[in-house]
Amino acid sequence: MSEKVVFWYGCNVVRHGDIIHSSIEILRAIGLEVAPVGGPSYCCGTSKDANLRAADGMAKRTVGKFNDLAIRLAEGGPPPADGTGAAASGAPAPAEPLAAAKVVTWCPSCHRHMNQFMGEYTDPQFPMSHFTQVVHAQRERLRERLVHRVERRVVLHRHFGFREVDVNPLVEDLLRLIPGLELVDSDVSVPGHMCSALVSVPAALKDVTRGVCDLAREAGADTVATVFHSCQRVLCGLEATEPFKVVNYVSLLGEAMGLSLVDEYKEWKLAGSADAVLERIGADRVEELGEAFVREQLMPELLRAPAK
Amino acid sequence: MDSLRAYLDRFVADTLDRCTRCGRCYDACPMTPYARELDGASPPAVVEGLLPLLQGAPGSTEAVAWVKVCTQSATCIDACPEGINAMLMLRAARMGALGSLGGEAQMSSTEDPLFFRKIEAFAATQLTPDEIEQWHRASPGERSAS
Repeated sequence: MSEKVVFWYGCNVVRHGDIIHSSIEILRAIGLEVAPVGGPSYCCGTSKDANLRAADGMAKRTVGKFNDLAIRLAEGGPPPADGTGAAASGAPAPAEPLAAAKVVTWCPSCHRHMNQFMGEYTDPQFPMSHFTQVVHAQRERLRERLVHRVERRVVLHRHFGFREVDVNPLVEDLLRLIPGLELVDSDVSVPGHMCSALVSVPAALKDVTRGVCDLAREAGADTVATVFHSCQRVLCGLEATEPFKVVNYVSLLGEAMGLSLVDEYKEWKLAGSADAVLERIGADRVEELGEAFVREQLMPELLRAPAK
Repeated sequence: MDSLRAYLDRFVADTLDRCTRCGRCYDACPMTPYARELDGASPPAVVEGLLPLLQGAPGSTEAVAWVKVCTQSATCIDACPEGINAMLMLRAARMGALGSLGGEAQMSSTEDPLFFRKIEAFAATQLTPDEIEQWHRASPGERSAS
């Protein structure tokens, strides 16, 4: 019987269904059975600093759902095999085989919020690891599935703020498994845990964006690999003006596995005009969402070019 | 079960007890050059001006400016000789500056009131109706792994 995990992908990553679907396939490729969860009903509450009552309620609801789901999934299942599952803060360190499935995080904000806040005043009964830790621990198993050459010269866009998990070397190791991929050595790393943290400091985001372009050009890279979804969201529009592609690392792993998943969000960002965006989203989906809502609420971010 | 506010109160009391206002957390921050108000600021003075925010009291202009440019780079954590999680201290100060800890707000929230509506909209374009039903809406008892 395979180990079962909860894959908690978060909220904002839903802009990139390709990242979610690639991640699920990668987890399955290393032998896990996956129960994905995300969206508003699993929100961690990290965006609610101005409303602590809401943050409190969201945290308790989400931890309660994880406790329920992780224990249900683990019933009859084997203990986790990779040994990476430090219990979420506040949870007792398990001395015996775990009675709850592991929660595998994607979003560094969710992971941090669970460690810094949610796990400190709720009662999480599940172990938690980041996606990079889980996949890296089983990377030899993943290697067997990376059979398609990905001929790219790649530079990794690195942040140094996700202190809880040293993701950059883990991602570099995973990228080096891909046949045909050449990873540029670089120690350039930028503030924040991911680019969304920089959005509220436009001058810093501008510096980081310009630095990404300089790094890729100087390295002769044809691809900038992002680690997190918000970096993909913020930087993918660079393809309109720069001589490199911006691709999340799980998409590169997926490409090597033979997956054909499209980053539609990037296609929309590169469409160039509101009408072209609407055309690429497609009439049916625009009608479902409401054209006025798409134009007024979604279009501004889709037409916003990265400042550098 | 505890509460977020009770946890914050404990963290704040411990921080106020241990912080020596040495300013090393400020020194370690990579973001201070992005706030004009912090040009030439004294690190101990900025920290001194920050601590009232933890209790819902007004912080100094410089302290609020520091809070605004914090991007959670975490370099401040290792810099603290007293072992305080300074990144968490800044986060609690942000809550104070937003008025969440009882005092007057000294900065406005950047939270998008349509945040969740946009999440639902993007999800509708990227996930199938069945995935949304299963992954976002189904109760834990209705879920399985595959």
